[in-house]
Amino acid sequence: MNLFFLSILIIVSGGVLSLCLLTRFTQMKMVAVGLIGSGCVIGLVDSLYKLFHPVSYMASFNYLNAFAISFETDGLSAFFLVPIFFVSLLAAIYSFHYMNNPGESLKTAVNYLFFGVLIASMAMVVTASNIITFLLSWELMSLSSFFLVIHNHGSPANRRAGYLYFVFSHVGAMFIFAAFGVMYSYTGSFDLITAATLPESLKITVFVLTFIGFGSKAGIFPLHVWLPHAHPAAPSHISAVMSGVMIKTGIYGILRMYMLLDLNTPLLGEIVVTAGMISGILGVVYALAQHDIKRLLAYSSVENIGIILIGMGIGMIGVSSGNEFMAVMGFAGALLHVMNHSIFKSLLFMGAGMVIHKTGTQAIDAMGGVLKKMKVTGFCFLIGSLAISGLPPFNGFVGEFFIYMGGFKGVGLDKTAFVLSHLAIISLAVIGGLAMACFTKVFGVVFQGEARSTYKHTLEEKEPAMLTSMIILAALCVVIGIFPGIFFHMALKGVSALGLGLGDVPMEPFLTMTGNITSSAFLFLCIFILIFALRTRLFKGKILAKAGTWGCGFTQPTPRMQYTGSSYGASIIDFFKPVAPLKENHPPVSGVFPKTTHYHSQIEDIAEVHMGNVIIRPVLWLFDKLRFIQHGDIHLYIGYILLTIIVLLFFV
Amino acid sequence: MIEPLDTILSLVLLSILFSFGSSLLPGLIEVIAFQGIVVSIVPLFLAHDMVPAGIAFTLVTLLIRGIIIPLCIYLAIKKIAIRREVEPIIGFHASILAGLALIVVATFVSRKFDVPSISASALLLPTTITLLVAGMFILIARRNAIAMVLGYIMMENGIYLVGTTFSIRALHIVEFGILLDVLAAVMIMAIILQNINHTFDDVDTALLRTLKE
Repeated sequence: MNLFFLSILIIVSGGVLSLCLLTRFTQMKMVAVGLIGSGCVIGLVDSLYKLFHPVSYMASFNYLNAFAISFETDGLSAFFLVPIFFVSLLAAIYSFHYMNNPGESLKTAVNYLFFGVLIASMAMVVTASNIITFLLSWELMSLSSFFLVIHNHGSPANRRAGYLYFVFSHVGAMFIFAAFGVMYSYTGSFDLITAATLPESLKITVFVLTFIGFGSKAGIFPLHVWLPHAHPAAPSHISAVMSGVMIKTGIYGILRMYMLLDLNTPLLGEIVVTAGMISGILGVVYALAQHDIKRLLAYSSVENIGIILIGMGIGMIGVSSGNEFMAVMGFAGALLHVMNHSIFKSLLFMGAGMVIHKTGTQAIDAMGGVLKKMKVTGFCFLIGSLAISGLPPFNGFVGEFFIYMGGFKGVGLDKTAFVLSHLAIISLAVIGGLAMACFTKVFGVVFQGEARSTYKHTLEEKEPAMLTSMIILAALCVVIGIFPGIFFHMALKGVSALGLGLGDVPMEPFLTMTGNITSSAFLFLCIFILIFALRTRLFKGKILAKAGTWGCGFTQPTPRMQYTGSSYGASIIDFFKPVAPLKENHPPVSGVFPKTTHYHSQIEDIAEVHMGNVIIRPVLWLFDKLRFIQHGDIHLYIGYILLTIIVLLFFV
Repeated sequence: MIEPLDTILSLVLLSILFSFGSSLLPGLIEVIAFQGIVVSIVPLFLAHDMVPAGIAFTLVTLLIRGIIIPLCIYLAIKKIAIRREVEPIIGFHASILAGLALIVVATFVSRKFDVPSISASALLLPTTITLLVAGMFILIARRNAIAMVLGYIMMENGIYLVGTTFSIRALHIVEFGILLDVLAAVMIMAIILQNINHTFDDVDTALLRTLKE
């Protein structure tokens, strides 16, 4: 465990030291990135070692004899630690050139401070082994990420996003507190491991409470409302870490509770699969309708959390129906997708950050033609888009493939499990197709065509740190896609730590599957290279002319006359009208010489709208009625204190 | 048989009644100073072993509690030179009556507590409770901000007595912790007072109501 604590110490000290070097901007960044990066490397090495040597590592500190701060790493923790340290490492490197405004020295230093705290607290969340430690790390994580979200607190929209995030993370934490409270009141022990002794009915209560609590962090529909606000507001490397890794701590929480509660009813799997299907499909539909590139990516995170949940749900159904293969496939697929999503989502956020940095806008429909000037970014973004759409030979395919396999195993079951497996497979297919549409939209509109507006900076790629991070992530997308064996092995280590009562998971049947993936990916690559070579050869010596698109005879085309992202998505969005109402603002064109008109469309998130109507308004009304308590007279306030003390002394 | 400790504690109780009855700030400060002195010598008469260091601590406590803090407040009201009435919300007679009732209730209630060092004096726990609640009472029933600060100090005296009652092992650590608290609190209050006075030309805390949203 020492290496783990060393890495956390180094990461946090990197953040703290950056505060001491305020006057020297570049040195400050070097120190912060260097320390955070090296801390992450140590942590990564340590967690990889622990993943492959599955022994339980424990460490405990007593504070004031009141409660112990204790940590424990098993396979599951180690599996989550790998992406946490890896993505944070790359995000730290990326930030070196991303945070490039020497005038905002203090803001940057504060950003590094909380970044360090965020990484450390995420690592602590997945290793905590008692209630106190867990909640402490959880709160630390929520708070530090809140401060990272309000990095640009000058703008009202940013503050609003930060507030929303703050409220959501704490309402979520409240549910977790409630669940742990129920546990503690029964067991009387702070150790998480005692959860297994709860009676059946309490276990379900605890699971549902934690599912809501962790779900609000993970971004399960309809608790995802904060995601599309907070992610666009934060700096891109922070969005990458938050969307890539931090929301996965919610998934970790659900998995850990599932493992600790050791519940064997089919109900859990049904809940999780259903939640997964809803988040998956609605997430991608909303993503498709977004105009802001980072909002789109945020909704796509909701979609991917949905896929992960479907995998977990299939795994749980497999466990409850005694179908070993299905269980392992579901959980391993889900874990693999956790890792994959952390890789391609952070890649996409970093790419988006790069583009936003140069163009100075986040609106997809204001961009265009970026690929011509920013080849590396464009290519990396393309790989990320293909991976997130779940296409072979990239990593997104692998995770989803195993979840599909698990689902197909469930088709042989009876009744509910049969229906749910079918639905899961269908919704996975729908999600995949829509994700494809969503990311062809982003890539087509942002990177191809012509620039739709004048950009803030000239489009060029001169930031090696940012490019390095993206290239590493893109390369990893390909590597996992082609050689999934070792990564699947890692996921299996995580699954075996779940203790599903299956004993040691045999590797052989899975090895042949991953082997097949590798060979077909090779085949695919060979065909691709062959076609590419053929094309080069055929075009050799011929003159290639480049000209504008034929405008049907119109002689004065402008770059604004291009296919937009909104029109691309419109027909699909139209189909989902009941769940994704589109609000349009478009004064009609009339007369022979029509005046200028405009078109504005916005998709309404039904979760946001209904939450406002059903929960927020009544609560506000109630608290408005209670306003008389705050009358401004200090003497009566002290009277309240006295009253409270007396009541506490004599009645509690 | 008259125990010295009982005498001291009776003095504390008397000082509470006096403080409820005093209408002018300087008088109230004197009463509180007296109370501070009396309260800080209580440990000397408790049955603990008194090492020289302990006596030194007690003396320092006495110095700060009985002399420095009241002097500071006295100088402060001289400097601000504002109205010297404590501006009661609850009248003086009613206050004294309430004080008497408080002592009775405290005595009655203190029987319910099971405290090991209660054997030192039957009056110790009632006095402590009375001090705490009386401090709160002044906070509630006096409108002048300085009177409220004095009420707070009275409460702190009570907490100090609780400390001496309950903590036998780490007595001086607790004492000093409390003392530091008081010093910091008085400083903060002085700053806030200055600000209130600066804003409203008065230290009437009822004026704070205008700050309400």
